[in-house]
Amino acid sequence: MSELEFRLPDVGEGLSEAEIVEWHVEPGSAVKRDQVLVDVETDKSLVELPSPVNGTVVRLGGDAGDVLEVGAVLVVLETDEPVRASSREPGDGAASASLAPPTPAAPAAAATPVEEAPEAPADAPDAPEDTRAAVDGAAPPGRRVLASPATRKLALELGVDLSAVWGSGPGGRISKDDVTSFAQEPQAPAPSAEPRSGAPMAVDEQPRPGPRRLVDEVVPLRGLRRQIAKSMTRSWRDVPHITDFREVDATGLVAARARLRPRLEREGVAFTYLPLLVKAVVASLGGHPKLNASVDMDAETISYHGRRNIGLATTTDAGLIVPVLKDADTLSLSEMARQIDLLADAARSRTVTTDQTSEGTFTITNFGTFGGWIGTPIIRPPEAAIAGFGRIRDAVVAVDGVPVVRPTLPVSVSADHRLLDGNDLGGFLTTLIEYLTDPVLLLEAS
Amino acid sequence: VVVGEVAEGVDLLVVGGGPGGYSAALRAAQLGRSVMLVNRSGEAGVGGVCLQVGCIPSKAMIEVADAAHRAEALSVAGLTVGEVSVDLARFQAWKDDTVAGLTSGVVGLLRRAGVEVVPGDFRFTRPGSGVVQSADDRPPRHLQYTDVILATGSRPLELPGLPRDGTSVLDSTDALALQRLPASVAVVGGGYIGLELGTALAKLGSRVTIVEALDRLLPGVDAGLLRPVRQRLKALGAEVLLGHRVQGFEPGRLTATAHDETVELDVEKVIVAIGRKPNTDDIGLSKIGITPGATGLLEVGKDRIAVPHVAAIGDITPGPALAHKATAEAEVAAEALCGRAAAFDPATVPAVVFSDPEIAVAGYAPDEAKTLGMDVAVGRLPLTASGRAATMNAADGFTQLVVDRATDAVVGVQIVGPHASELIAEGVLAIEMAASPQDLLASIHPHPTLSEMLSDAARDLRHRAAGATVPTASQAS
Repeated sequence: MSELEFRLPDVGEGLSEAEIVEWHVEPGSAVKRDQVLVDVETDKSLVELPSPVNGTVVRLGGDAGDVLEVGAVLVVLETDEPVRASSREPGDGAASASLAPPTPAAPAAAATPVEEAPEAPADAPDAPEDTRAAVDGAAPPGRRVLASPATRKLALELGVDLSAVWGSGPGGRISKDDVTSFAQEPQAPAPSAEPRSGAPMAVDEQPRPGPRRLVDEVVPLRGLRRQIAKSMTRSWRDVPHITDFREVDATGLVAARARLRPRLEREGVAFTYLPLLVKAVVASLGGHPKLNASVDMDAETISYHGRRNIGLATTTDAGLIVPVLKDADTLSLSEMARQIDLLADAARSRTVTTDQTSEGTFTITNFGTFGGWIGTPIIRPPEAAIAGFGRIRDAVVAVDGVPVVRPTLPVSVSADHRLLDGNDLGGFLTTLIEYLTDPVLLLEAS
Repeated sequence: VVVGEVAEGVDLLVVGGGPGGYSAALRAAQLGRSVMLVNRSGEAGVGGVCLQVGCIPSKAMIEVADAAHRAEALSVAGLTVGEVSVDLARFQAWKDDTVAGLTSGVVGLLRRAGVEVVPGDFRFTRPGSGVVQSADDRPPRHLQYTDVILATGSRPLELPGLPRDGTSVLDSTDALALQRLPASVAVVGGGYIGLELGTALAKLGSRVTIVEALDRLLPGVDAGLLRPVRQRLKALGAEVLLGHRVQGFEPGRLTATAHDETVELDVEKVIVAIGRKPNTDDIGLSKIGITPGATGLLEVGKDRIAVPHVAAIGDITPGPALAHKATAEAEVAAEALCGRAAAFDPATVPAVVFSDPEIAVAGYAPDEAKTLGMDVAVGRLPLTASGRAATMNAADGFTQLVVDRATDAVVGVQIVGPHASELIAEGVLAIEMAASPQDLLASIHPHPTLSEMLSDAARDLRHRAAGATVPTASQAS
């Protein structure tokens, strides 16, 4: 028998952490290889992680709601199967490898379960079955908060009561970072025995009479909502937005869709306007590479992207998810339509992979589902721009001095003013509108 | 204001120049305060009991006694040095030089920090004021302080019926100043001071009897650590009388009783080392509204402040009367009085006994942790498993690691053996950092050293869990 520390794998590039959503096993559970152990929520998707071996669960690395870094121990399994050793440097003996700290900096190594040398199980002797439960119970009087003297001093200086701080380290050890972030978090007005527990804290089971309270329920900011909150805050804070608003005569676009739709639907493809809009955007980006770029203020560089990967903002029950249509410039309309369908379904069912949500270079969003006219799209850093489309509706416009009813498409594009000026943005929009007004031009676009 | 009394203003006053007092003065000066340090014997006595008549002189004596003893003990390894003898008069001269050198070091630190050292005894006259009186004919100095740190320390307790006379009945200070080795000594008190003095004198060649009223040596130290010390005392020819109460002393004869039995000991000198008493009875505390507790200790907050603007540290506050505790408190008190957030909140105050072998403890003993409700795992490695110890001809002792299973944190370390006093610091760090045994195991310890034993104790813990035994690193060549 040996113990296997199954570490949180890097399930997609750029991912540094994941939240435990639900455990399907508990300490003592017998598990079979490939049996689902846990659901974790990554940047944009729910991922089921299967057991790498047949064995028994010794210990869980966190509770539902905990956020683990890639490389952190997710679960400890006991198994008598030989476990494939992880990819390590030659000469790095198994015994010492088993003693190495988690390697979040080396995702390649962390992606593979790290084996413990059978003769030297590195886990602590007599490790408790469930550390958190044991720690959270009534602590013996002699047990101190697990924090180093420097951390305790910091807590004192910041006026932080360490017993209220959740420790991110093993066994709940509190780091300086834990104290600093605790001090920065506005404390919830509701008393919270478990400040970071995963379950929403229902304030009351029964609706009750009496005065209404300002705060009725406090729900932890978690998962996708938290991701959106973080990335939108970053964008709003760091990126100076400029937005240009236009209205496009969509007569040509409507005609083009009407021509194409029967052909594509015969192939089993539901054909909306979206593939045409993506085509127009991709073609416009070809002529305006500055909008298909990223600015890095730390390195003080601008990266022009060689690929045109278009993010498609998709509304789901849990919040906005942006799957990415990779190399959209190489796709035919029918391929595009099919892929958009697949991505949208994956997003709505929360099965989209991190790979499917990464490497976007430009994003398309839409307004008007609820009758709105136009909006101000917010850029998704490190992208440089985002295009938003409203709903095509009949509007009275002046044609040759005569009021005429035409199908009209509202368009707004936001750009990162650090990288792009008004004339860059205007140039892009002018090109985009040419393609949208006269989709035949897309035939010659590259 | 009494006529003729012209008070000087003092920004921050420190009373007492021991390890606590001078450390507090240095820290306060570093934080920008103008500091006056009042010390009974002025600059000549800075360092207090610890430096002048305690820790340092006793370690000097123990070092010499141990070297003399080891020279004989290593005859098994082929060492011959002829007749070993220690000239106590020459030892005293060397020890005085050593103490003087260290004292001038502290004086230099205080001078460079701009601390004014004033000889004399300070007493409060009313809140915010006090007077310094010196033994010589100098006029008293009246002081008005903004803040004060009390670090007046402690003095040896006397045994009723056995008053110190400085010639036959000695306290620890007298014992460390002996110019001639007594042929026979009774040490009254089996605490760490009595044990250290008794062991040193036995190694120097005195016939030593330790008389303790309780039924064990070193009260407060886990009984499991004492066996090697008892064995060594026996080997040194020192006798230990437990449960014996001293009744009286007439020249050459000490009388003690256990239950109904009376024992008479023919001894040249008696050393009384039964404990220490905090110096809080003669500093006018009632004038500032402070009443010491029954034991003479002052109640203080975590920031060591007793009443506003008055802090107390060291032996006059609860906790072990140890220099390193006072030094740590000094930092806290100085910072607190300078308006900084500070708290004396160590996970452990380590204790070391320079017995033979040495005993050093930090954190909880296994039973103590269990009493507190912890489920503990104990890793233990005997000294016989250490290759380095074998080369030192040392076999009595062990290293023990106490781990709270629920948190996988080291909560106690006990070391018995050579240099335990040096080795315990790693245990203190482990406890303060809430290290796991795995942390100790994964930190590479140099070989061949005694320090390996701590990581080996962690390894022992792991293999106990696995139900196996393997050679330890300190054992392997």
